[in-house]
Amino acid sequence: MSVGLVAVLFVAAALVAVGAFVASWKRDLSAALAGLPLMFGGAGVAFAGAARFSAAGDPKIFGQGVAALLAVAVLALVALGVGIAGRGTSR
Amino acid sequence: MDSLHAIGFYVSAAVSLGGGLLVAFLPTRALRGLAVAISGLGIVGLYASLSADFAGLVALVCYAGCTLLLAAPQYRAMDAPVGMLWRQTGAIAAAGLFAVLAYAAFRGGFAHATFKGGEIGSAAIGSFLFAHDALAAEAVGALVLVALVGATAAWRVRERGR
Repeated sequence: MSVGLVAVLFVAAALVAVGAFVASWKRDLSAALAGLPLMFGGAGVAFAGAARFSAAGDPKIFGQGVAALLAVAVLALVALGVGIAGRGTSR
Repeated sequence: MDSLHAIGFYVSAAVSLGGGLLVAFLPTRALRGLAVAISGLGIVGLYASLSADFAGLVALVCYAGCTLLLAAPQYRAMDAPVGMLWRQTGAIAAAGLFAVLAYAAFRGGFAHATFKGGEIGSAAIGSFLFAHDALAAEAVGALVLVALVGATAAWRVRERGR
């Protein structure tokens, strides 16, 4: 059993697509925010996979750095979205 | 990649995608938050199996924060003024996006290489973020600052309007 860059990109594409599906399917806009972590996670997995399977001899950490930055960015964006939604009734 | 990492990769992929699909169909906020947490754990597992443990640690903290935010009962529900037709169109567009991305990944001519890095690599990533690519790190820091200030301001304005 082995994993290559194609398998990593396949999973990353599926995560991005599932995130887009969540964002478009939920009628409640604040619930649709839950699609953002999936999409950003998919992008981060693609970057980490490209770093893992890059052809250069030295360990390439560009993809890992971008994946970490994407995780921080999605937390900020979800906080912004929840803040814009404001306080109200739960559903 | 050895068999243990490969098994971890495929299990984590299944967990993250299954959690993502649960997010779409679970009805309540708490259950959706739980599904986001499951999906986040899967994504962290993907990072770990790809030898990106530092990114996995950062993602673990950030996805825990996302879970707490999305599962919280305080924020307001906002219904979108779109009908079922547009939601179904969006779902089909998401499937089309997956088809295009998967086709691009499948048809891409990638070179095979041997990975020589370690598991954590926090020193190398710290050097990368704060020396080599400090502008990107500062841009994300500015985004976090603006997002948190914006969220606080929006929350306070709404509370004052009541």
